[in-house]
Parts: sequence; structure tokens; C-alpha cells
Amino acid sequence: MTRPVLGELAVLDDVGPPRRGRAYPAAGATSALLLPALLLLGALVAWPVLRTLHASVVIDGRWVGTANFRAALAAPGTGAVVGRTLLWALVVPAVVTVLGYLLAAASRRPQEGGLVRLILVVPTALPLVVTGVTFRLLYDPDPQRGLATLLMARLTGRSAEQVPQLLGPGLVTVALMSAFVWAWVGLAVLVFRAALDAVPPSLADAVRAFGGSRRDVLWDAQWRPLLLRTVAVVFALVALGTSRTFDLILVMAPGSVRDEASVLALRVWQASGGTTTGEGAALGVIWLVAVVAGMLVAALFVRQAWPPPQDPAPAEPDQAAPRRVTRLLAVGAAVAWLVPLGVLLATSLHDPVDAAARGWWSSPPSLDSYRQLATGVELWRTLGFTLVLATVVTAAVLCIALLAAYPLAWLTGPPAQATALLLMGASVVPVQVIAGPVNEVLGVVLSSGTARGMALVHIALGIPFAVLVLRNAFADLPAEQVRAARLSGRHWWSTLRLLARHNRPAVIAVAVLEFVQVWNDLVVGLLFSGPGAVSLGLFLAGQSRGFVVNSGVLAAGSVVASILPVLLVVLARRQLVAGLVAGGVR
Amino acid sequence: MRLGRRTLLRAAAAATATAATACSGGERSVQVAVVWSGAELGRFREVVAGYGAPVRVVSAGNDIDAFLRARHLAGTSPDVAILPRSGLVVEYAQRGWLSELSPAASYAVPPGMADLLAADRRRYGVWVKAAHKSLFWYFRSMLPEPPATWDHLVAITRRLGARARAGIAPAPLAVGAADGWVLTDWFENVLADVTAPGYYEALARGEADWQSRPVRTALDRLAELWSIDGAFPGGPRRALLTQYEESVIQVVHHRRATMVFEGDFVDDVSTRFRRGPERPSTFRFPGARVADRPLILGGDAAVAFAGSTRGVELVRWLSDGAAFQPWLRAGGYLSPNVTVPLESYRDPVRRSLAAELRTAESVRFDLSDRLPGPFTGSDGVGIWRIMQDFFADVTDGVAAAEAVRRATGQLAAAARAAGGGR
Repeated sequence: MTRPVLGELAVLDDVGPPRRGRAYPAAGATSALLLPALLLLGALVAWPVLRTLHASVVIDGRWVGTANFRAALAAPGTGAVVGRTLLWALVVPAVVTVLGYLLAAASRRPQEGGLVRLILVVPTALPLVVTGVTFRLLYDPDPQRGLATLLMARLTGRSAEQVPQLLGPGLVTVALMSAFVWAWVGLAVLVFRAALDAVPPSLADAVRAFGGSRRDVLWDAQWRPLLLRTVAVVFALVALGTSRTFDLILVMAPGSVRDEASVLALRVWQASGGTTTGEGAALGVIWLVAVVAGMLVAALFVRQAWPPPQDPAPAEPDQAAPRRVTRLLAVGAAVAWLVPLGVLLATSLHDPVDAAARGWWSSPPSLDSYRQLATGVELWRTLGFTLVLATVVTAAVLCIALLAAYPLAWLTGPPAQATALLLMGASVVPVQVIAGPVNEVLGVVLSSGTARGMALVHIALGIPFAVLVLRNAFADLPAEQVRAARLSGRHWWSTLRLLARHNRPAVIAVAVLEFVQVWNDLVVGLLFSGPGAVSLGLFLAGQSRGFVVNSGVLAAGSVVASILPVLLVVLARRQLVAGLVAGGVR
Repeated sequence: MRLGRRTLLRAAAAATATAATACSGGERSVQVAVVWSGAELGRFREVVAGYGAPVRVVSAGNDIDAFLRARHLAGTSPDVAILPRSGLVVEYAQRGWLSELSPAASYAVPPGMADLLAADRRRYGVWVKAAHKSLFWYFRSMLPEPPATWDHLVAITRRLGARARAGIAPAPLAVGAADGWVLTDWFENVLADVTAPGYYEALARGEADWQSRPVRTALDRLAELWSIDGAFPGGPRRALLTQYEESVIQVVHHRRATMVFEGDFVDDVSTRFRRGPERPSTFRFPGARVADRPLILGGDAAVAFAGSTRGVELVRWLSDGAAFQPWLRAGGYLSPNVTVPLESYRDPVRRSLAAELRTAESVRFDLSDRLPGPFTGSDGVGIWRIMQDFFADVTDGVAAAEAVRRATGQLAAAARAAGGGR
């Protein structure tokens, strides 16, 4: 790939002609490798989507046209729910994008910048359930327990009764959004950092040489060549990500304000109750259409937004050291981001009675919550189950996606783009929408409410994204490497193994993301678990029903549940970025 | 030759079938899905350990309805389920999911309760656990003279509320209004007190008007009490974010409130969080009368799924109160079966409640548990949500008449949407 001219396409054309797909075997016998992926996606994504579409236009098998849609939209509160969902999809991405850019720019110094980014990345690895627990502890309306309420009362000099309640009906959405931003900014920072590092330093030098000011540097050397598109990508990704607020609302919003916090995800789940019929299906379809439309818009930008894949050695930091203000911003953000983690940890280090009745700052530390957690059988059972589930699902997704990526790598041009769009579409289908039909399919294979069923759903949901990343990584390999692999590999599988070895970052990225995704899951567990198949997220969410009495044990459980995903993401963060960038999407 | 092969095949099929029958008949345990978890689940496991055949107990958690629906859709229903609401039993029976049951000879529950588990005059469920839901908990040292009537309760709340506002005494009432079911329990106790028995039942069956006078009277009463300034620790906005368990803690641990209303199960939380040697005492939910006060009962019912004879047998065994001996001995269990001897209750609270169950003149069953569809309530949905809105209104200065009008309007609309009531 040639280094482009000033200000123009300094970016990767994702699936266009430059891809060396032609070095791969032509479609033919290898198409059979697509079979497992097609079978799973067809049965557990495509068919359920069609069933939901069908259910949205019939009542008891009778065609009713738009009656379900009209009824669903006319139901009291639906307008507010749709509005809130849109608010989430607009406000949160905007905040995350701005903060992400500022912090990425502010943390560019290698010494403390790395540490700042590390701190910001930790929340991205946490299960959203844990994020919910953390912020509910922080925002507890009781000044004896909630640090935020205490500080507000102290700062404003008012009594705790008079300060605004962060979890109350008026502010609960703001509280939820703040938790979401906390969890997602790290991702934005990583992406912006990668983008900024990819901007050739010569650009900035050139602008400066022509007497450009700081603002000119920003505009001509950063914004125009690259950042515009990166901003679009980050914005779109976070907007799509807001469809996952479900976990957060379920854990963080007390029952009395759940309506004030409700978004479409929650409403669809409440309306359908495990089956997909009528109004629930109609709401689901509306949501599905919105998400897929969002995905299409995102895809337009994503196609061209990532920095070049084979950037040799990253250029040494170009700009002068950041100003003091920006450095303070980075440090301040790091400290602020540590506070919720500190609250979670501190609460877990108190015995259950103290954690429920008093603040962590006013009672002696104790390991009783951990002790109680560790002596119960449930934690170990769910930990073991989740570990096995995540490992099996990750292995299966990797195998199936590698098989499918190989024949797909041959595609170029419009067919490749169409495949990419289909896969992206499949990867953003909200599982709440298709839960009913998926359960029917699982029933056919006698897996409903079993660990096997849960694993199947996870695999089906994980495959599209994995195929997408691996296919693009394969297609990005230099033609010589592919040819060499094909010559030296005696069978297709040894070729495949060689190719996988050449694409190690992509494989690692897919594996880590899939593992963390399954480990952190709540929704799939909620919809498809059964006895003996209780995942970690479900276990924690179940305990959060009696939030205050369980807060000590819940905090301890949250800490235990977070260790593995945080370790994985922190250790693999370089491969994650490299793998995904090489994959060219996301 | 051809004949020979066919015979062989037939023989093989027969052998497989025999083996399969042998396996399923001999080894497969009876599967029971329950709502319980934690300590309660352990107790129930001890109970079924006494059953003649192996029983596999699975905890489906609070969302047992969604769980069972999914299992039914998939054709993998368990043999038996313990359901937390009688409304569910009727719903499942009407869909043809359940087997008709015949309980043990010793099965006897308070009058009217058995009918709640019937559809088309057939019995589809038996009660296996009861909850007494007409209790206030308090410390004698903080409230020497508990109220005997509703007016007395209002007077005490006013007096203590004024003192609490002055900051010299704890607030009178702790209420976990973040959990909608706490408020529906309040409502049911008042409603049962102000209406004729028939009317309460008609509302539960969806045959009465939710905008009628008795419902309005009950809500008026609640408004009278809840709107008292200083009634709740931290104020009413705070009460709406307080969960049930926390409201108990406010009384037994912090002593920030004097009384808390809820069922016999309050002692689970109270035992864990109580400070000092004093045990909390109880008084009955006060009504207009001193005697003959209605008792609100909740409970869990066992059902057997269609086609499972082994399930039917297990439910019959469970319907015999004696089956629950291990749980009776361990405490924390109130049997709906009035033939269970009082001496077999180990814990004194439950023993006196069991006695009350036998002598109570009128026992009413939890109303919200019997409402159809989403009207029955869950977080942010149905009657839970409506009662929370009502609580927010009356504590926020909305005139009682207006708040009652809004609430009854919402109740009637919800009843219509759920396909019952007017």
C-alpha cells in the first residue's frame, strides 16, 4: 500500500480491489468449510429473525398488517422509551468520542501516558453487571453508604434528604450513562491512540514548517487526514454499543425507577417474557431495524476508517510534549476512573453486615464477605461453569470462524462487501429480539435450558464478528505468503494452520474478545440458562435483587468475576488493537 | 432372506425399546423446578431426600415463569414445579400444561385456598408453603404500646412523625417501596379490611370494578397514612429507593424507624442484622376492627406437568404436611396444611402464626399473586408500578382524591389490558 498524499486517503480501503484475495483458492470444494458457520447462523440467527418478523405481523397466525406496531407504539410509555433509546445512542457516543479523543491526545507521552491508558482500559474489560454494581454502590442514596451522595451533601451543605438522588427517577438515566461512559472510554482512547500514532509525523512537521499554529496542526495534520473518520467509527461503535445498556439497567436501577430508566432492550424483554409474539415482536423489529440501519451507517465509515494495516514500526512520538493542562487532564481522568474501582474493592473488603449497614470508610476492613462467598458452593459452581463455557465457546468459534474465513478470503469487490455487511448485520442482532424463536430451535435439538443450548447460542452470536475479522486478516496477508502457504501445506488444513500462524494477532484478538464476551455475559444467561447452567453474570445479577443486604458479598463476587477478563484484556491489549486493525473492521 | 433381515431388524428395535424403557423407568430421577435458592433450596432438598425415588431439584430463580415457558416451548418441561403465584397455576392449567392432581388424605388448607389452584373445577396444584403477610415488626423498647386499630396506627405515625421531623426520635415507618410487592401487600391488607369478603375475591377473579368505592376507600386510607410528614426515614423519595431488606435493616439494625410491615419472612433479615439482645416483636396489621381481622396469606404451590405420572405422585407426597418435617424442624417454614401438629414447629414465631392460621376467621389470599398476565406485577410493570406511582403521588403533595383517581384509572386500564376486570 502506498503512502498517500497529504490529506487524502491515509486509510485502508477495507474490501476493495487492493485486497489480495485472489491468491486464495477459488470457490469450490473449500466452500464446504462454510457449512458449520452457515448452519449455526441460519438456525440461530437468520431463522429466528424471520420468525420474529413474521410474528410482528400476525396475531394467532392471522395476518394483521401493522396492527401490532400501532398497538406497541400507542402503549403508554413507548414514546418515552424510544426517545430514551435515541438519547442513549446520541449523547453517550458523543461524550465517549470527545473524552476518548482528549484523553488519547493527552496521554501521548510514553511514560505516564501508558499508565493512564492502562487505567482507562481496565473498565472496558469488566462485565457490565460489575459496572452496574460498582456505580450503584457509589451512587447509593444513603449518605452512610453512597460516597457520591455523601460528597454532594457535604459540598452543597444540604442534608442528604435534599440533595438530588442520582438513582432517583429524575437522574437515573444520567447515572446509568455515566457508568456506561466510564466503561467505554478506554476503548475510544485505544482507537484514537492507534489512529494518532498512524498519522505520519512528517505531516505535522510540514504544517509547522509552513508556519501553521497548533490549531492548524490539529486540523490539517490530524483531523482531515484521519480523525474525521475515526471519530465517525468510534461514534457509531459506541452508539451500537448502547444497545447493551440492558445489563446495566437491570442491575443498577432500583425497581421503582426501572420505568424511568427503560430503553427498548428492556421493554422488548418485558413485553415478550421469553416468547416472541405480537407487540413484543413488533417492538423488537423496530429495534432491529434501527440497529441494522445504524450498523450500515457505521459500515460506510468503518470501511475506510482504520489506519493502514501494515504500518511498519510506529513512528516515534512526533509532537512536542503536551501542555501542562492536557497532562493534568490525563492524570485527573486516571484518578477519577480509579474511584469507582476503589469503591468496589473497598466495599468487598467489609463483612456483609457492615457493607450493608455502613459506609466502607467508617467500618473496619474484614475478609468476611470473601469468606462467605468462598464457602458457598454457588460461586465455585458458576465460576467453573463459566470458565468451561467460555473456553468451549471460544474454541468452537475460533475453529468454525477459521474454517469459514478461508473460503471467504477469496472474495473481492462487491461480493466481499456484501458478505461483510451481512456478517456485520448478524453480529449486531440484539438477542432479546430473537429469544423466543431461538428457544424453539434449541427445543428441536433438545438443548433448551441446558448448558449445551447456552453454548450454542453464544457460538452462533460470536461467529459473525469472528469470521469478519479473520476473513479480513486472511485477505490482508501478502499474496506471496498465501502462495507459499498453499504450496507448502499438503492439505487445506495445513495451509489453514500456516495462515492462522501468520495472522496470530487477529486470532488472539478474536479469542480474547470472544472469551471475555462469554465470561461477561448476562443477557444470554438470562434468556437461555437453565438449572445447572447458571453463568457468572446471572449469579451476580440474581444477588443484586436484594442489593443492599448482599452488597458485601456482591462486591466480593464482582471483584472475583473481574480478575480474569481484566487480566486477559490488559495483557492482550496490543494484540487486540493490532489484530482488529489488521482485520480492518472495528 | 428378506424375511430374515426384517425379523432381525424388528428384534433389534424391540431390544432397543426394552433397554430404553428399562433405563428411563429405573434410573431417571423426578425433576422439580423451584423458585427457592440459598438456604430455602437446601431445606427443600432435605425434604425430598425423604421421598422414595431420586428427586432432582433445580432452582429456576425468580423468573421461573420465563424458565418454564422456554422449557415448554422446547418440550423439556420438568415433572414438577413449585410456583410462587396461584395465578400462574391457573394460567398453565388453562393452557393444558398441567396434570390433574389428587392430594394426600391429610391435606387440609384454610377455606378458599384450595379453590385458587383449580381450573374448571379440577385441582391442578397443592399448597406446599405459606407466608403470613399481615405482620408489623417492631421493638418493644421503642414502641411500648403497639396500635390495635388503623386509626391508632395513624395517630402513632403522626405523633412519631412529628418527633422525627424535630430530629428527636426515629421515624415511625420503614417501607421498602423500591420493591413494588411491598406496597401491594400494604394495599391488600387495607383492602381486605375495608371490603366485604366477596368483593376482594371478585377483584382477584377479575370480575369487579377497580374504580369502585371499596378500592377508592382502601387507597384513601393508604394516602392518609403515607402522606404523613416525617413518616419514613430519609423521607419518601428515599423510601422509593429503599428495598424491602433495607427497610428491615432500618428498624432492626439502625433503629432509624420504629415499625416495618411485612410477612413472617422478615425474621430472615432480622436475625442477620439485629444488634443487641432484644428480639423484634410483631403485631397484626391493624384494621377498622380489633377482632376478626382478615389475614393475608401468600404461598407456593406444587404442580405436575401434563403426562408425568411420577410428577403427580411426588406432588401427592408433598401435599402431606408430614413430608416437610425436616424444614419444620429447621425453622423458617410455615405450612399451609392445618393438620400439621403445632408441636412440630420448632420456631416460636411460626408456631404462633400457624395457630393463627387455624383460628383466623377470614383468610384472604395475596391479591396481586392472582392477577392475570403482566397486571400481577414485576419491577416497573403492572400493579407494582401503579402502587409505586400512587406512593410517589401521595407523598409528593398530590391531593389524595386526585392520586386515588389516577391510581384507580391505571388499575382499571391494566385490568382491561390483562383481559380481566372492568
